[in-house]
Amino acid sequence: MANPDAIAELMARCALRDQRAFAELYRLTSAKLYGVAIRILRRHDWAEEVLQESFVNIWNHIVEYSAARSAPMTWMTAIVRNRSLDWLRRPNLERGDEDYDLLVESLPDEAAGPDVVLGNSRDAAALAECLKQLSGDQRQTIVLAYTHGLSHGELAEHLSQPLGTVKTWIRRGLERLKGCMGRGG
Amino acid sequence: MKYRNTQLREALAAEYVLGVLQGRARRRFERSLKDDPPLRELVAQWRDRLAPLDALAQPVQPPARVWQAIRDRVQLGSRRRTLWASLGLWRTAALMSTAAALALAVWLAVLLPGRHVPDMMVVVMSGEDASPAMTVSWPMHSAGEPKLRIRVMGHPEMPSGTAWELWMLPGGDQKPVSLGLIGTEPTQELTIPRKFAPLVNRAWGLAMSVEPSGGSPTGLPTGPVLYKGQCTKL
Repeated sequence: MANPDAIAELMARCALRDQRAFAELYRLTSAKLYGVAIRILRRHDWAEEVLQESFVNIWNHIVEYSAARSAPMTWMTAIVRNRSLDWLRRPNLERGDEDYDLLVESLPDEAAGPDVVLGNSRDAAALAECLKQLSGDQRQTIVLAYTHGLSHGELAEHLSQPLGTVKTWIRRGLERLKGCMGRGG
Repeated sequence: MKYRNTQLREALAAEYVLGVLQGRARRRFERSLKDDPPLRELVAQWRDRLAPLDALAQPVQPPARVWQAIRDRVQLGSRRRTLWASLGLWRTAALMSTAAALALAVWLAVLLPGRHVPDMMVVVMSGEDASPAMTVSWPMHSAGEPKLRIRVMGHPEMPSGTAWELWMLPGGDQKPVSLGLIGTEPTQELTIPRKFAPLVNRAWGLAMSVEPSGGSPTGLPTGPVLYKGQCTKL
């Protein structure tokens, strides 16, 4: 993973319309961002499309980054996540059922256990620790929704639970997460 | 609309970042983000909280064609200086020229002697160098068709066969809406259809592009955007 300061510097140069800095920014961050898009979209052609749109968007709006207050990678990831989610929620989108089945098979190992491996930073450790304190259901629905872009309805269907139950897990889980992380600093 | 309930604001920000806020609720939330900085702050906090989950996505090298497509679009944008490509820079320019806008606003008020001017909308439009080049103003509550008063303070030479087209920018990702063709005379008026009145009164800003003499053939700006500016209510 590239150094955040290096990325921030490249972004500042992009704001001055330095296209070489933009090429370097793409080189350093595109694999990570493409991974995020594939994770949500589960189709390479869609993820390519979204990655392209996202980088054009990043270039056009990079001046606004300074006001965003987030870490540079968080800001860019948010753009990719939003574009991916918008893509999934388009009307008339056909997402094959076989994708879901594959997805659901691969899920429990990763999300249901109490130890979610998130990397070494302090923020990551705090989130992992707080996720541990949620119930298994809360943890699983939150992690699945975030990483795979599943809606309330999709989560309910694939976990075979009533919609209201899933919504409650998520809402309560998020509240507890905030309480826990707020205490940790 | 504005969400007032503290708990609701927190819950919506969290569900928005998580991705489960959808459809109309998601769009409504995104609209209110535009003019609710504390809500944007809640969203930023949730992004920071959940960002470590991004580590669960394995990096995957995208095919080379993705970068080629991005590069082509970005270079094309820079060459043509389209509205979209310059949107980001322009907001900065708009911020930098706030002082100039205020000075002009006072000057405009003076120009309308002896008249009380309730709720005027003023747009100070500038080019690349952020110095004001054109102003557009209109009363927000007039009956009938809105009349835009346009003052052009200076402009480059117009190539023959071209015209200026004025665009309303609704804000966000919404497309510009043509308000019609204008001239280069220092003082002019543009009457726009009545149905546009509520739209221009809520618009984020205005832009002026150079188009073929009959106006843009596509219904969207096709030529370079010379001047643009953000709406200011007086």
